Amino acid sequence: MEFTLLWAALTGVAFAWAGTKLWSERLPDHPTDRIIGAAAAGLAVGRLVAMMTQVINPLLHPLDILLVRGGVHSGAATVGAVVAYLWASKWTIEFLDATAPAALFGLAGWHAGCLWRGACLGTASDLPWARAEPGSLISRHPVELYAAVGLATAAWLVSRMPWRLLTRAGAALGLAGIIRLLTEPLRPSLTGGPVGWYIAAIAVGGLAIWLGPRLASQRITAPT
Amino acid sequence: MLKRSIVLMVILTACGGAIAAGPDDLGGREDLPEISSEEFEAHLAGIDRPTVVNVWASWCLPCRAEAPLLNTASSQYGDEIEFIGVDVQDNQKGAKKFLAEFGLDFDHFFDRNREIPNFYGGIGTPITFFFGPNGELVNTHNGILDERTLALNIDELLSLSS
Repeated sequence: MEFTLLWAALTGVAFAWAGTKLWSERLPDHPTDRIIGAAAAGLAVGRLVAMMTQVINPLLHPLDILLVRGGVHSGAATVGAVVAYLWASKWTIEFLDATAPAALFGLAGWHAGCLWRGACLGTASDLPWARAEPGSLISRHPVELYAAVGLATAAWLVSRMPWRLLTRAGAALGLAGIIRLLTEPLRPSLTGGPVGWYIAAIAVGGLAIWLGPRLASQRITAPT
Repeated sequence: MLKRSIVLMVILTACGGAIAAGPDDLGGREDLPEISSEEFEAHLAGIDRPTVVNVWASWCLPCRAEAPLLNTASSQYGDEIEFIGVDVQDNQKGAKKFLAEFGLDFDHFFDRNREIPNFYGGIGTPITFFFGPNGELVNTHNGILDERTLALNIDELLSLSS
């Protein structure tokens, strides 16, 4: 990760923090600590996995874990952040619902962080709002801003959803997957992007929405 | 305590796997040809299509991260764009080991004194220079390449040659 990408990450955390202020209803105590802690844990896990896939031994290059120069594995980072958040919340899954809008808003901030990085543009476009890279004559979709607007809208929609176990968290995960999937064809890419991860997010989000109310009803009817 | 020991063992085993995976076989490669900045400039001037020049070194950890991307790009666009590697401030053994490990299947030059990146104004390692046909410098990317940056610059280069 370059330092400009670090700016994008910090923008994302700042947006997530702003989200906890915007949607403070039913939030656990000290949600900011947990969000920042989970983000840091996710980055560390994502960095370790990226190092191992690049055949770099973290034990021989411990500073390279902190001086993140070689990228972060986003899938591993996401899983690491969610697990760390659940662990910090003593595995109370309701907290995922409570912070889902703030997390989506933070993701929107991460995408909007392209403004700091100068990395908002995607494939070529003739639309009136398309912009060109400095020194280029090719105008392009501001694809990362599309994603940012989509995710911020999704954050607002999720904040309006009814409180049912895992419904908000599932909807947030599914919507994030859908928005990334829809914008992926507009990103310049050599590999087509991590489409499998987006489809997995949509599937897991759908499963959570289906499973949540059933888990909740079992909790109510289970003998004590 | 037992749980923590198991987690620690899993992490150490995974990290150890990262050491063991490095190949010792240099693939019978010859030494990389040494080249000066003037010779390199003349070489680029003779190429009538866009060129991506990646400056790397075997000791450079971010270079390891971007090597698979360059491999993908050269296999996809190798017919339209020339890919060249420049190994700087390195030794031949390390260079050959790096190439054997990542299989970067395009031309590479050896630049012990870092003349070429200094000549074109790049900073640090890795650096990627994007040249139009006949060696006209279009863009310089200092630092690690991500997929978007590489794909976007390739798109820009292709528009120059079309």
